[in-house]
Amino acid sequence: MARPHIEPYVELNDPFRKFDIAGFKGSHYKVLSLDTDTGACTLKVRFDGGYRRKPGLSYSDIEIFVLNGEIRVGKEVWREGHYAMIPAGYALEAISVAQGAEALVMFNDGEPNFEESAESHDLTLRDAFTSLNSYDDRPWAPGNLVTPSVASGCLIKLLRYEPLTEAFSFLYCMTPRFAQDNISYHDSAEESYHIWGTSWMMQFGDLPTGGYFWRPAYINHGSFRCKYGTIAFGRTDSKLHNYFHYNPWTNPKQNLLRAAAQVYRQRPLLYNWTVSDGHNHPHGPPDFQHANYFDNDPHVRDLHGHYHEAGIEHDHDHDHDGAPKARKAGGKAKRKR
Amino acid sequence: MAKRVQDVRPPRKPDAEKWLRENVTEQKKRYAAIVREMDGIEKERQRWYAEFLHIVSTRGWNVNGDQRMVVPVKDLPKRPKGRSKVVF
Repeated sequence: MARPHIEPYVELNDPFRKFDIAGFKGSHYKVLSLDTDTGACTLKVRFDGGYRRKPGLSYSDIEIFVLNGEIRVGKEVWREGHYAMIPAGYALEAISVAQGAEALVMFNDGEPNFEESAESHDLTLRDAFTSLNSYDDRPWAPGNLVTPSVASGCLIKLLRYEPLTEAFSFLYCMTPRFAQDNISYHDSAEESYHIWGTSWMMQFGDLPTGGYFWRPAYINHGSFRCKYGTIAFGRTDSKLHNYFHYNPWTNPKQNLLRAAAQVYRQRPLLYNWTVSDGHNHPHGPPDFQHANYFDNDPHVRDLHGHYHEAGIEHDHDHDHDGAPKARKAGGKAKRKR
Repeated sequence: MAKRVQDVRPPRKPDAEKWLRENVTEQKKRYAAIVREMDGIEKERQRWYAEFLHIVSTRGWNVNGDQRMVVPVKDLPKRPKGRSKVVF
């Protein structure tokens, strides 16, 4: 199982817990959502005054959004609104926190882990490292970055875009008196944390400051209202397409079928090829430019049905008419090249 | 695609294993509390749905951006039997 549907969750009244894992001692955390298999998680972390950490790396991609306070990272000072994407294996410089700070810390591939090192791992995707202040360094853009689009009054700052999956991380705001009269769902999971402000969704009611959700694909949300304005941090795990409708009682299965019907209407040749015999393998079809994509992206791993622990791969039964079977009886696991 | 750092990560350490186990348990409790809370506002939610469908049939629904379309009352969806669910 991946991350469950956590919506709505208002963390402000829940206590922080002491972080007892190497590299995080001297900080406290709250889990906002957690992948029960891989340990990938979104945390709210409080770094106490005096927190220090030597240079080091993680075996997971990490995203950080600073909510308040100041975090010194090498020569940089990360203040509120700072966003960083630290690719797995990237040796982040020494960290120190003089007066205390709070941040959203997201481990995208596994549970929190840290290894002291002044050098980045040889396999690190160094170019993926991002460090910017989202409040100062990015402009607000209209929400019609994605079409079909949200209504006027929902604006977005793009912070990170993953070209293969089109997953993205962003800051968004809703203007006072924002309203959008439709119900939405997506093919991707969607995550949000309200930095400030309250918005309302017809299924879940008010989501105030400190409100959070992790919403898996195809789950209805909206219509939408925001009385006094909201600013929030959000992410998706793959391409966000807005499927809008007005039936409050549909379930995720019906929504998924409607999404597939849209593919059928708009790309009939691709749809026919995909569902025809021999092509519906859970690994997905081969991509000559990205040969191992099915093991490299969390949401594709979920589609595949299970996570390949530390480079293990194996065969499947092939009946081509339903969900993948986990492993052949007596099938041998083998180490990837 | 080349091998990635994630492919060569060392096995999970006991403290990380313990951390994961504890927090999975906590998350299950949190999920159950959310479901209870959302079930508790079901009556209010059905009122919100009715208000929404009224807007859909009078001012229209947002088809794309600010573009709206009015749906005749006879074409509005009907509430199915059984309990509705919003947390999955």
